[in-house]
Amino acid sequence: MELLDPTREAFRLLVTGDPTLWGIIFTSLYCSLFALLLIGPPSVALGFLIAKVAFRGRRALVVLVQSLLSFPTVVIGLVIYMLLSRQGPLGFLKLLFTPEAIIIGYMVIAFPVLVVFTLSAVQGADPRVYETARSLGASRLRAALTTLFEVRFGVMAAVFNGFGRVVSEVGCAIMVGGNIEGLTRNIPTAIALETSKGEFAQGIALGFVLITVAIGINVALAWFQGRGGLE
Amino acid sequence: MSAPLFSVEGLAKRFGERVLFDGARLELEAGSGYVLTGANGAGKTTLLRIVAGIEPAERGQLAFHAQASAVSDYPEAWRREIIYVHQQAYLFHTTIEKNLDYGLARHGVPRTEREARVREALAWAGLVDRREVPPHKLSGGETQRAALARAKVLDPTLLLLDEPTANLDGEARRQVLELVTALCIENHTVVVASHDPEIIRLAILNRLSVSGRGITVAD
Repeated sequence: MELLDPTREAFRLLVTGDPTLWGIIFTSLYCSLFALLLIGPPSVALGFLIAKVAFRGRRALVVLVQSLLSFPTVVIGLVIYMLLSRQGPLGFLKLLFTPEAIIIGYMVIAFPVLVVFTLSAVQGADPRVYETARSLGASRLRAALTTLFEVRFGVMAAVFNGFGRVVSEVGCAIMVGGNIEGLTRNIPTAIALETSKGEFAQGIALGFVLITVAIGINVALAWFQGRGGLE
Repeated sequence: MSAPLFSVEGLAKRFGERVLFDGARLELEAGSGYVLTGANGAGKTTLLRIVAGIEPAERGQLAFHAQASAVSDYPEAWRREIIYVHQQAYLFHTTIEKNLDYGLARHGVPRTEREARVREALAWAGLVDRREVPPHKLSGGETQRAALARAKVLDPTLLLLDEPTANLDGEARRQVLELVTALCIENHTVVVASHDPEIIRLAILNRLSVSGRGITVAD
């Protein structure tokens, strides 16, 4: 297989701002970031509550959320497909094969990652953080936010891992998005399609973008951690 | 005779099978200093935490400013006046200055007043030149002084200090002792749980002893 020419062509597409290629990149980032924006706050809040509040069935809930981590994304896609399909209970929303359907899928996929990582970060937090905040006059909500701020690297790791999981996801995005050019085609689904057609240039270019995003996430996390204790 | 500033009646607290308090009572007079003594595990820290509302108890009646409340229903408003400082104080991972500002901001103090009060408290604790330092760069003594300053800046009605000189020696211990003494003299109502003979000997402190599931006034 000749790799040099497709790679050269891949960089040409990237540098010249090929609208199809950059449209795919935009769709990927838009769906991933929007999904995280929507599911991030409730997931982090739930992770905090599970870590801090003792209630009946807490252990079972933790096991359930941890199990969701290993759920195949195609199964998540299948369930969402059935819900959103014309005959499904949410068919009237007409969301199937739209970016919004992908966003819903990504939210479901990112949810357990965010909850489990936050739970782990908060469980590892010094219990004096919350007590000190409360003793200094903070409300329960403010004390919770202070605790999350103290374990911010763990919370950021949750967000970055959630982003990493959804931005590289294929199965669910193809099933509920339909891989429609100019609408729902994103980086991983485009790579799968172009490779199956033998069109390696766009696949290589998109693969390069995906790897750059992955490295960027880790560099950003390392940078935040390297800043140490100061805001 | 006026009502005590803070009182505890019929306090019951257990950890598993171990009964720590059973019907314990305590009265704290406004403007007085107290040192709480007792063997390790007797319940000094637990008592302070119950008074501060951060430790639950099985039953008991609390009263503050003559306002009564069940121990299980600790009023949120009391937290603005009662401050507990841990044995090993926790400073948030930001600058010392911002640590001191934290409580003032929660109390809704205007920014300009906050800045002035933080400056004053930093000077009081001898930490002016350390105001922008993160907590992990402070010594044990400086950490404790910063925690005392963070409590003092809020001008608490009741201040609860848990072993403030533990793990300190030499100059660091002496400096913290001076601050604790100053807090007692400044007419705050202070309860200090301590094993430190120098704190126990402080003439300005009334001695309370935690033992045998209760709290007694020591000689």
